[in-house]
This record gives sequence, C-alpha cells and structure tokens, in this order.
Amino acid sequence: MKWLLKLFDAMRPMFDEKKGVFRLFTPIFETAENIFFYPADRTKAFPHVRDPLDLKRYMGTVIVAMFPCVAAAVYYFGPRVLAMILMSYVVGGIVEVSFAIIRKGEIHEGFFVTGMIFPLVLPPSTPLWVVGVGIFFGTFFGKEVFGGTGRNIFNPALVGRIFVTIAFPTIMTSGWDAPGAWRGVADAVATATPMALFKTQHVLTPWFDLLIGNTAGSIGETFHLGIILGGIYLIYAKVCDWRIPAFYLGSVVLFSALGSSVPALEAKVAPPLFQLLGGGLLFGAMFMATDPVTSPSTKVGKWLFGVFCGLLTVLIRSFSGYVEGVMFSIVIMNAFAPLIDHVVLAVKYKEARTG
Amino acid sequence: MKFAKELIKGLWKENPIFRLVLGMCPTLAVTTSLENGLGMGIAATFVLVCSNMVISAVRNVIPSKVRIPCYIVIIASFVTMVDLLMNAFAHQLHAKLGIFIPLIVVNCIILGRAEAYASKNPIRLSMADGLGMGIGFTMALALLGTVREIIGSGTLTLWGSIGWNLGAYVDQSLIFMILPPGGFVTLGCLLALMNHIQSTIARRNKQVFEPPRAMDCRHCIICKWGE
Repeated sequence: MKWLLKLFDAMRPMFDEKKGVFRLFTPIFETAENIFFYPADRTKAFPHVRDPLDLKRYMGTVIVAMFPCVAAAVYYFGPRVLAMILMSYVVGGIVEVSFAIIRKGEIHEGFFVTGMIFPLVLPPSTPLWVVGVGIFFGTFFGKEVFGGTGRNIFNPALVGRIFVTIAFPTIMTSGWDAPGAWRGVADAVATATPMALFKTQHVLTPWFDLLIGNTAGSIGETFHLGIILGGIYLIYAKVCDWRIPAFYLGSVVLFSALGSSVPALEAKVAPPLFQLLGGGLLFGAMFMATDPVTSPSTKVGKWLFGVFCGLLTVLIRSFSGYVEGVMFSIVIMNAFAPLIDHVVLAVKYKEARTG
Repeated sequence: MKFAKELIKGLWKENPIFRLVLGMCPTLAVTTSLENGLGMGIAATFVLVCSNMVISAVRNVIPSKVRIPCYIVIIASFVTMVDLLMNAFAHQLHAKLGIFIPLIVVNCIILGRAEAYASKNPIRLSMADGLGMGIGFTMALALLGTVREIIGSGTLTLWGSIGWNLGAYVDQSLIFMILPPGGFVTLGCLLALMNHIQSTIARRNKQVFEPPRAMDCRHCIICKWGE
C-alpha cells in the first residue's frame, strides 16, 4: 500500500483547498483518501482517542449487515438487482458529489447506505430510470436541501420511495416478480405480495416461506432470516440501539394481537407472526427506523418512537387503502422525532430548571 | 413618479409570493394548471385594486377599533361580485376554482395591503399598490401553474383555445406535480431560485443578502453558490 500512500502525498498539493489546480474537486480527493487511509487532518485539541472511528465505519457496518439481503435478492430476483443498486449509487453519488463541490464541504459516507437501502425497498420489476429519479429526489429533496448528512428530517431513502409511489402509481403497482421467475423456476412470472394476498383474499402465507423469503415483495425485504441476522449484528456492533427495533416489533406484536383477537376486526388485522414476517416490517425496523439522524437520541424517546411506529404500522396495514404501512409510519414518526426528544428532555430536566 | 414606484415594487421587490410569502393557500391549491393560476390571480387582482381604493377613500371615516370588520365587509362585497361575474361569464373556470373564489375574502395579501397600505395612503397610490401587488401575485401563480402543468399533465392550455400538448413526446407524466406535494416542491424550488437571483444581484452591488428569516433556510446554501 506504500505506493498508494506516495501517490496520494504527491497529489495532495494539486487538490489544496486554496492554491491547488483542482481545488474544485478537493472533496472527491479527500473522500478517496479517506476510503483507503484515514483523514489527513487529525484532531488538534485533546481529548485524543487513538482510533480512526468516523461515520465511515458506522456506515460500513450497515452495508455489511445488509449483505445477506442483497445476496438473497440476487438469488431470488436475478442480477438485475445489481444493476438497480449500481444505478442508485451512480445517480445518488452525482447529487452528493455536486453538493459537496458547491458547499466546498466533504462527501459524507451516509449516501452509501441511502444508495443501498433505496433499491432494496423497490419492487424487483422497477425500471432503471425510476430508480434514478427516485434516488435523485430522495437525496436532493430529502437530504441536501436540508443541509446534507446529519441535518435531514426524513430518511432520504424513504422520501425517494414515497415519491416514486405517488409519482408513478401505475409502474409501482403493476406487478411483483415471483421469486425465482428469472431462472424459470417459479410457476408464475408475477404474483401478489403476502400483505396484498391477506388484504384482498384473506390468505395467510406459510411462515416458513416468509422466513426464507420465498415470496413476492420488494427486493431486499423478503429474506427475513438474513435481515434478522443483519439486525443482530448491527445491535452487537453497537451501530444501532436495540431499543428502536425491539419496541417497534414489540408494539406491532402487541397491537396486532389485540386487534386480531377482537372478532369484529379479525378480517382486517393480521395475526402477530404474519405481521412480523410479512412485508417490509423487519427491514424497516432494523435498517430504516434506526437511522441515527432521523430518530430520537434520548433513550426514552427511542422507545416512544418505536411504540408509535408500531401502532401506525398496524393501523395503516389494517385500515387504509395501502397494503403496507412501514414506510409511512417511519416517515411520520421521523417528523415527530425532534418533538419527542424535546418533550423527554423537558420532562426529565424540569426539576433541574425550576429548582 | 411615486405612482410608478408603488406599482413596480409589487412585481419584484415586495412580490407577495416570492418575497413576502403571503397567500399560500390559493398559491398551493389552485396552481395545478396555468389557466387556473391565471384566473385566480386576475380575480384576486380585481378584488385587491377595488378594495384598496374603497378602503383608502373611507380611511378617515372608519373608527380604528372596528377597522378589520369594515375591511372584511368591503372586501367581501367585491368578492361576491367577482364570484357572480365569473359564474356568469367564465363558468368552467369558476367550477374549477370552486371554493377558492369565496376564500379570496380571507386572502392575507388583500387584508394585509388594506391594513398596511390603503388605510394610510391616498386613493391614487393605493390603487397603484393594489395593482402592482395583484400583477405580482398573478405572475407568480401563472409561473407556478405553468411549471406544474407542463411537468404534471404534459399540456399547456390557455382558455381552451391555445393548446400545447406534449403527449406525443412523452409517455409518462409526473402526476406527483399536480398533487398537493408537487405544489410545495415547485414553490420551494422557485423560492430557492428567487433567493439565488437576489443574492447574485446583491453580490454584484456589493451588498449583503440575507434570505427572509421566516424561510429559515440557513443550512441549504445553494443560493450562495458561486460566491
């Protein structure tokens, strides 16, 4: 790796922020350097922690945790999935880099996660240009307009997903590829998702099929075993707090158990196990609700956030025109995250302030 | 001279939509097409000019304690006139705009100009102020309507006769743009564009440009691009 270090050292003057020939592209140079080594500028004042820990490692862990989902998606829905991820990275990367250049700031690694999550929450048959438009909208209006990574109110991947859902209803609901259809393994080319089957025909998909992902659905959400493993890894690596997924899933179980035990609502509210393993609940709870930027940062706030996400998910799934409520519930609660934190802190430090 | 100054300020410097950010309700709701935006703007302009003139004429008679009810009565009578006139002569447009015609009564631009300008200034200047503000409002609505109609439904029509259909070139229109969220997105983009133009002009004149505080847009520094 020595030659690479030498190369970067030789190139550094050219990318100097003030005098360099390519000063417009300083952010790109710094990012490339960060990927191979560590940031060139160190912390000057103490305390010093001898660990090059930054956003990059957090984001890298999330990508690793999502790997099983991606592998399963390629197995079930074909190599087209990789093209969609590539498209998402290219378009999202162009937006991110151009904003870094305009702001003269640095390129944040956050977009590696957004660019990965976004194609994973789309139907497998989504045209590539829709992927591009969606990720553009998500990064531009969901993140950059608010000031970039760390300042966004809503999860950018979900903003993009909701945008394409509203903007191209015909494309997004036209059909779901059956798993294995690209290899000619499945009986039918297109089929309905488990959630839609329950809503329209009141059919419960067997739980084992749901667990190993042998159902139709968004690219990354079907292989629930891999999502559970990835989520446990994330919690073990302390990248995400256990409270949000635990309280989110717990409240879904609680409210759906309550709902499905009432005879009058039995036809509308699915039983708890099906709610957990059907649709995008696990994916949302593990990878999207835990986004450190758009979820509350207090401990009590985190479990409040999870409980309300769960309640909204069950309500939207059971009583609205949409079959799936995970993305809406997370985005709605994203809007309340700062308020939750504010209230929690105000209640907690009431005595300290008044006394 | 003063007349012209009052007339021009509403077009750009104090544009009710892009600078004062007033009257957001009709702005977001009716601008799904150029025709709707233009119709709404013209109706509001008529009410604005007439009410400004009448309020200015009776400004010394109205006791200040009950001035707001008096303004509302005057504005409401003109709105009723517009409502009935549009129903008679532009029935289709009237049907499209629906509830937003009677709602001109509580349009904050009209009440705001009555309170801030017409109640303190002579008739001639009040008329200029109303006309300028009205034209500024109409221009803004037409701009929003044009953008949203072209992207949202792929057409551009004016009074049903002058039509331009993009349907032959595109097979996918962005329905999102004629839905309410599209209104917010378009308005936000246009506001950002206006701020960018303003900041560029200010920089050229060696002045400091601060975006309106009400917009709280300190973090998105797109408008400072090129500094």
